[in-house]
Amino acid sequence: MRTTVRELQDIKAALDQHSIVAITDASGRITYVNDKFCSISKYSRDELLGKDHRIINSGYHPKAFFRGIWGTIRSGRTWHGEIRNRAKDGSTYWVDTTIYPCMSPAGKPAQYVAIRTDITQRKADEAQLQRYAEDLAEKNKELEAIVNTLSHDLRSPLINVQGFGKQLSRACERIHAAFAAAPDRAVPASAVRQQLEVAIPQALKFINAGVGRMDLLLAGLLRFSRLGREALTIERLDMNAVAAEAFSAMKFQLDAAKADVRMGPLPAGYGDKVQTSQVFGNLIDNALKYRHPKRALRIMVEGHVKDGQSVYSVADNGVGIAPEHQLKAFEIFHRLDPDGPPGEGLGLTIARRVLERQKGRIWVESAGEGGSTFYFSLPSTEPQPLSTP
Amino acid sequence: MNNAGTRAPAILIVDDDEGHAILARESLEAAGLNNSIQHFRDGQAALDFFFPVGPGPHAVRGGAYLMLLDIRMPKVDGVEVLRRLKADPELHNLPVIALTTADDAREVERCHALGCDVYLQKPVDYEKFTEAIRRLGLFMTLLLIPPTKKS
Repeated sequence: MRTTVRELQDIKAALDQHSIVAITDASGRITYVNDKFCSISKYSRDELLGKDHRIINSGYHPKAFFRGIWGTIRSGRTWHGEIRNRAKDGSTYWVDTTIYPCMSPAGKPAQYVAIRTDITQRKADEAQLQRYAEDLAEKNKELEAIVNTLSHDLRSPLINVQGFGKQLSRACERIHAAFAAAPDRAVPASAVRQQLEVAIPQALKFINAGVGRMDLLLAGLLRFSRLGREALTIERLDMNAVAAEAFSAMKFQLDAAKADVRMGPLPAGYGDKVQTSQVFGNLIDNALKYRHPKRALRIMVEGHVKDGQSVYSVADNGVGIAPEHQLKAFEIFHRLDPDGPPGEGLGLTIARRVLERQKGRIWVESAGEGGSTFYFSLPSTEPQPLSTP
Repeated sequence: MNNAGTRAPAILIVDDDEGHAILARESLEAAGLNNSIQHFRDGQAALDFFFPVGPGPHAVRGGAYLMLLDIRMPKVDGVEVLRRLKADPELHNLPVIALTTADDAREVERCHALGCDVYLQKPVDYEKFTEAIRRLGLFMTLLLIPPTKKS
């Protein structure tokens, strides 16, 4: 008997070292907590004894969850699961929990012993993994879209190179036939004029344009892929200075367009200075490219902080983007107006890529004719290093 | 009086790529087709042809047409053109051959969803074109009729 009690005491001591232990009476009032319970819940023993477990309820689980627990243990079965609790200081923690009902000789639960293990870190890791998985899925989708667009956009000039290449061969054959048919190699001009003056120049024009287009696409792709590898230096950015710098870099074009640029006070944001400046540059460039032919260009830059993000807007009074084209505007190599001002269709794709790497976003609002407002966001407080993939 | 059943339809090529349109036209001409061929540089121009909003060439009532429609175009794309045509009670039977730049299952899927079951992958060559025409059940109307035989 003596050794049995001693053994039980040893087991209890070991358990107290390992686990968070609490005992409640049949009505749920706390009658015992060990030191680990006090330390994780940040309540003193006196604050806990006599209370029920609602004191550490985090509000995370629905009421039905707790009803389920009570249903199980009241009927004499052990409950096992994961619970998120709230400590005295408001912080939350996750515990892997086993609740064992101790039955009275009458077959009713007399008290409940709950043994818990802190799994807060594991839960955080799981959530982080989940975010990584979502990020990766998103990136994968993006890559797929790029490959899809590229295969189309590269194939398009290739079709011309192939098709007009065949026409060149045919022109050669015809000239050759004309030579073969002519006695003493005296080929009449009429036999080759059409080939030399129409067919061959046309074929060469399309072949050269196709090759040029493919070169442009590949150079753009290389530029885009390089962006993903460049190291970022995330720092607190004085956006007023970053925007002013971007505007002054384009002063010549802005002056030539007689643009009226207005800038409100901008909140600071956390990002890479060079890349964020490039976002401003691309947006100003777009405002210039797509300005309205009949209106003097006006660009308005404003900013505000919302939900931990600094949001900046660049509004213009240009030609605007119809609602059905607004999503496409960010697609790689997509150009609003292929007959319009030159460009490779990368400006907004690059802006989006650059911002996503800095935990920011970019989107556009446009009522069509009245102009476009591009918004982009960056964290307004220093981002957690953990969340940077 | 026009009778669409016995007239060779005018072929409308809707493609933003001028080179592709020239290649398609020359392939059809090289094969001896003497249908009139018209080129539209984008989806909007093709829609304007059937849904007139201003001056410019318009479809003739009762005229026979066959559309070769590029799917990927900026602004109004082929899917949008197809959607508008299929939604119109008078135009939904207009034969349309969708042109795709690459063998893209998703693009083909979109065409099918809009009720277009004939598509060609570029470059358009005459044999593939006639096969597509056969599937549309239109082969007879495209057969060549020597100009001397009939007015």
